[in-house]
Amino acid sequence: MNGENQEDWLDKKLQEAAPYIEDDGFTARVLRQLPAPQMRWQFLRPFILVAMSALASALTYVLSDGGRFVIVEMFKLATIPTLWVVAFALASGMLVMAGGIFAAMSKTAQIQS
Amino acid sequence: MELTDAGLVARVLVDDDQHAYGELVRRHQSSVRGLLRQLTRGDIALADDLAQDAFVRAYKNIRSFRGEAKFSTWLYRIAYNCFRENARKRKELVGINEEQWQAEQDPQTVDPGLRHDLMHALSLLPLHERSAVLLCCQNGLSHDEAARVLEIPLGTVKTNVLRGREKLKKTLAAWVK
Repeated sequence: MNGENQEDWLDKKLQEAAPYIEDDGFTARVLRQLPAPQMRWQFLRPFILVAMSALASALTYVLSDGGRFVIVEMFKLATIPTLWVVAFALASGMLVMAGGIFAAMSKTAQIQS
Repeated sequence: MELTDAGLVARVLVDDDQHAYGELVRRHQSSVRGLLRQLTRGDIALADDLAQDAFVRAYKNIRSFRGEAKFSTWLYRIAYNCFRENARKRKELVGINEEQWQAEQDPQTVDPGLRHDLMHALSLLPLHERSAVLLCCQNGLSHDEAARVLEIPLGTVKTNVLRGREKLKKTLAAWVK
């Protein structure tokens, strides 16, 4: 028997010397030792988010004197020169686009790594 | 359709599904217990205790399983660590329990004389060589997977497997020819 055959023979005998071990209640014993499953609060998440949003909206309405500041600010916006509004909208759009491109590039680099 | 190990792990992670974890235990209990029985030189009671500890520890730390390696490789690592910690506490491995060992074997697969000599030859190997041989030659792990389990460099695993095999071949020379 040459070297490689000897190794194959040895591996085969090692594998044969390790037969399948019947479960015989082993899994049940393991499961009995596991900590009790934790209460899952995740199903409450959407309700909590909606409730918090509603609460935040209500607080904003009350603290802003019925939303009066919105009317005031909208009036101020209406007096801004049109060119400024266009420039502001363009700048905001470019900022959002840059953020999106950066996030996409970061994700690509993460996936590639 | 049977779920893969990854699918079962996902269920445990998302839903804390202990039935899914039970299926993982059922799938891997034989190989983990077998490895630990070999490492403890045939002490079946100790090996099964260590195996139970390993599976419980794996459940508690399942969030640290990142899926980079196979679930079985990650499990072997935990089992091996349980064995190592226990051996350190006891400071020595228990002696060979050949009667228990023989009772567990299927008499039709391996010649009883060879099995006896094989087990004895394995027990003579130093721990680092025995572990490497058991993982790679008996349990079919790649050298890379064994390196992850044993937390040693890949080169060291290869050397340990080579040396372990050479020693086994010498000890079992009468059977090999």
